[in-house]
Amino acid sequence: MTVPPGDRWRPRGSGPVVRPYAVTGGRTEPAHGELLDLVTVVVATGQPVTADDRMRQTPEHRAILALCSSHVTVADLAADTGLPLGVVRVLLADLTAQGAVTVSPERPPSQRTEHDVLQEILNGLRAL
Amino acid sequence: MASAHSKTAGPLAEPAPPAAPAPPAVSSGSFTAHKILIAGGFGSGKTTLVGAISEVRPLRTEETLTTASVGLDDLSGVDGKTTTTVALDFGRITLGHSVALYLFGLPGQERFSFMWDELSYGALGAVVLADVRRLSDCFPSVNYFEAQRLPFVVAINCFDTAPRYAAGEVRAALDLDPGVPVVLCDARDLASVKQVLIKLVETISITRSRQ
Repeated sequence: MTVPPGDRWRPRGSGPVVRPYAVTGGRTEPAHGELLDLVTVVVATGQPVTADDRMRQTPEHRAILALCSSHVTVADLAADTGLPLGVVRVLLADLTAQGAVTVSPERPPSQRTEHDVLQEILNGLRAL
Repeated sequence: MASAHSKTAGPLAEPAPPAAPAPPAVSSGSFTAHKILIAGGFGSGKTTLVGAISEVRPLRTEETLTTASVGLDDLSGVDGKTTTTVALDFGRITLGHSVALYLFGLPGQERFSFMWDELSYGALGAVVLADVRRLSDCFPSVNYFEAQRLPFVVAINCFDTAPRYAAGEVRAALDLDPGVPVVLCDARDLASVKQVLIKLVETISITRSRQ
């Protein structure tokens, strides 16, 4: 098996080089707002952020933002970035505060009732 | 594999003819994601079940170490360590354009039970996987979901080497409420897992319609 050049001195499974919460500047909880659930849907707003905010964005912020171009959940983001869940929550709170991403309402304001959603799930499962 | 129970008439309609697999296009604004928990003892087949119906992906969480892990997690030399990484498995099933189901494997060991509250928050329901050779392993999950009033089904994972029991015997052994279905399944098989999930969603629907 070949090892990518960058990983040559880092055996597999040795864990991240940087401690998990280093990428949040040591913050373990979002600055404000409630904790996002694992299946909370987030999406990029497409709104431009201020130059100051862009300066504050880390590569991890930008990686999350790029993944938010379509609807994704908090769990998807953690799995896709490889960042721990708590870190993703902190970074998402930053992006929300900047207006770059928004949290989808849990219940869509449309006429879809809970019964409709369950029926939709059932139909979808049966069609699998 | 069919359930040993007669089919209950749920409040949900039977499926539309299979000729209509494509759901109506819904604006992206109405996308919702729903959580289903897969519980059961260590080695009961949770990850296998999730993998049979979706792509399993790991999710890392940093959890505070509790005294429950003393003696299990080797902390010698890392006295200052207060958190540990817990990997969770989950799978996503996209159903049409507007709904996705997320299956989360609940860490079975008692020492991870502190994570159950967070994972079960907002969940639609749960599947408790049972291995008849170690039926007592699923007692904590059954007790937990009963206390949380979360709809669940018990799925007996039919391991090749395990003795076969009728679903009714397992029901009696677990002292389940009559509303909790017991089904037989093969956690490796997509069609079987699908039936388990359908039974669960039907149960959720019946429970909700009574509330």
